Amino acid sequence: MSSRLAGPHSEEAAFDRVPSSAMPARARGKKVRLLDALEKPIEWTIRICGWSSILAVIAIFVFIFKEAAPMVVKLDWIEFFTSPRWIPNPAPGNAPSYGALAMIAGTFSVTAIALLIAVPVGLGAAIYIAEFAHGKVKETLKVLIELLAAIPSVVWGFIGLMVIGPIVQSVFSATPGSTWSHVMTTLHLASRDTGASQGTNLLTGGIMLALMSVPLIVSLAEDALRAVPDTFREASLALGANQWETVRRVLFPAARNGLLAACLLGMGRAIGETMAVLLATGHSNRIPQALTDPVRTMTATIAAEMGEAVHGDSHYGVLFILGIVLFVVTCSINVAADLIIKGVRKTNRA
Amino acid sequence: MKKPFLLLGIAALTLAACGKRSSSDGSGEPSSKKKMTEIRAKGSDTMIQLATAWAESYRKVNANVMVNANGGGTGTGFAALQNGTTDLCNASREIKPEETAKVKEVTGKDVKEFAVAYDALAVYSHPSNPIKEISIEELREIWAEGGSIDTWEQINPAFTGKITLFGRQNNSGTYDYFREHICGKTAEKKQREFRGGISELNGSSEVVENVAKTPTALGYSGMGYKIPSVGWLKVSAKKGEPAVEPGIETARTGSYPISRKLYIYTAGEPTGETKAFIDWIISDDGQKVVAKEGFVPLK
Repeated sequence: MSSRLAGPHSEEAAFDRVPSSAMPARARGKKVRLLDALEKPIEWTIRICGWSSILAVIAIFVFIFKEAAPMVVKLDWIEFFTSPRWIPNPAPGNAPSYGALAMIAGTFSVTAIALLIAVPVGLGAAIYIAEFAHGKVKETLKVLIELLAAIPSVVWGFIGLMVIGPIVQSVFSATPGSTWSHVMTTLHLASRDTGASQGTNLLTGGIMLALMSVPLIVSLAEDALRAVPDTFREASLALGANQWETVRRVLFPAARNGLLAACLLGMGRAIGETMAVLLATGHSNRIPQALTDPVRTMTATIAAEMGEAVHGDSHYGVLFILGIVLFVVTCSINVAADLIIKGVRKTNRA
Repeated sequence: MKKPFLLLGIAALTLAACGKRSSSDGSGEPSSKKKMTEIRAKGSDTMIQLATAWAESYRKVNANVMVNANGGGTGTGFAALQNGTTDLCNASREIKPEETAKVKEVTGKDVKEFAVAYDALAVYSHPSNPIKEISIEELREIWAEGGSIDTWEQINPAFTGKITLFGRQNNSGTYDYFREHICGKTAEKKQREFRGGISELNGSSEVVENVAKTPTALGYSGMGYKIPSVGWLKVSAKKGEPAVEPGIETARTGSYPISRKLYIYTAGEPTGETKAFIDWIISDDGQKVVAKEGFVPLK
């Protein structure tokens, strides 16, 4: 601190020693003194900016737990995790049921479908952009993929409802008794012999989430691939390996952690998504039996029901408990991704 | 998250109203006639949108009257009427004798009943579906928890396939009314709940649009939300009885089984601005609002 403060002070002294231009020197000296006085507040402002994110996370954590606390004790946790019966607003005289099994199954199945689509597509795109594409093609692709990330999620949901849904429904439909109908029922592509019952379902939601997490996976995976030193590529090519062998045998192992982290963060994005799944999954509380069954996710349930839940009510508390479950899942995914990325740095340094 | 903003909004409105009132009070004799009058309306959640729409439209009729519409449920509305914390009670059912007695006992006034609209739900299906009739009992087995009907052929062999159900989200008044009216009671005289696996959608028109896109669909929504690309089913009170087409006339006469009257109740004969407001609701202008909100007007 003191050494930093010495700078302006000595400068001021230097100005005082020049008598011929007394007025401007005095003015400049004032300016320096002003900056000097401002230094502390500026330093604190920046410090607060740095801390604010930590404070925000802690505040969110405290808030969610505070709102959920009364229900944490009262909730029948066994029912919560094992029953699909979700009746938060029962008829007068009936007791509410808070079984979240179907929603948990819904959230994870939609995420799994999304990852099955997004990981191969995302990694493929990242490899192409990082290793094969050059010049204008590369730049255009990067800009377009970033543009994909900027589309609001409610727009994605709308596209799912109006465009992808009807396509999925027409592809997964058949006359009972036909080969396609038989294939669909045996492979659990559809739960009935006529195919998908409705356009908004698990697959449609999964496709929407995949499209939303691809940009994230591509940009992180591309960073991971670019972080592999060129000497690796040169050595591999010099040994006679072609470009694909270089990617598969050299770059993949070297960037392994970064690629894994990219996929995990894509997964975190998919689990936490709300508006798109609310519109595109059918919002039907059941455990899916087939690829084109409608499902309901935890995020969509919170979004649909929070607005009308009575503050402090048990329904309100349970919605916050759903929030905690989501929070814990996404937090552990992010922490895992973080640890993996740290692993990358360590190996790179070695 | 919504609540604090709502409260803030209400607080702001109240403040604004107070401000206006005091300013007109203070500005001397001539304008004191234009004092702001507040009418408090409380009750049925089914009617909250309708009540708010009436309140908004009525501002154009008489800018000096502000109607404050609140929900809470019909029962809450009657309790408020009895405690004098509301001027009007919006009710989606008739008042019970004990509630009438309670109001009389506390306020010393007889309740006054005004029928203001009809609420009728239609059961929508895909236009390609050859089945055009259904009974209340069949609807119960389709929608209620533990119901025995899953496929269309169980109703009529003319159509096959599992029934795809579209309903409303569990905090809407439509959900409550359909459950109460269709799902019936359990052996222990308790209200049966809906079964699992129904797509619970966030809007009346969303139900209709999803039905239009799904050949095996069955959905319930307000009668006013019909679009040309969906069909609706005639409903009979009992299997074998003649099924009634949903429509304004059949809802009014009560021959269509899924309809009910909506009421406004006051404690004692309404007077002044309250009377004017109720008269306006029953007038053609007020009833236009009813039709616009998806309910069935009185005439």
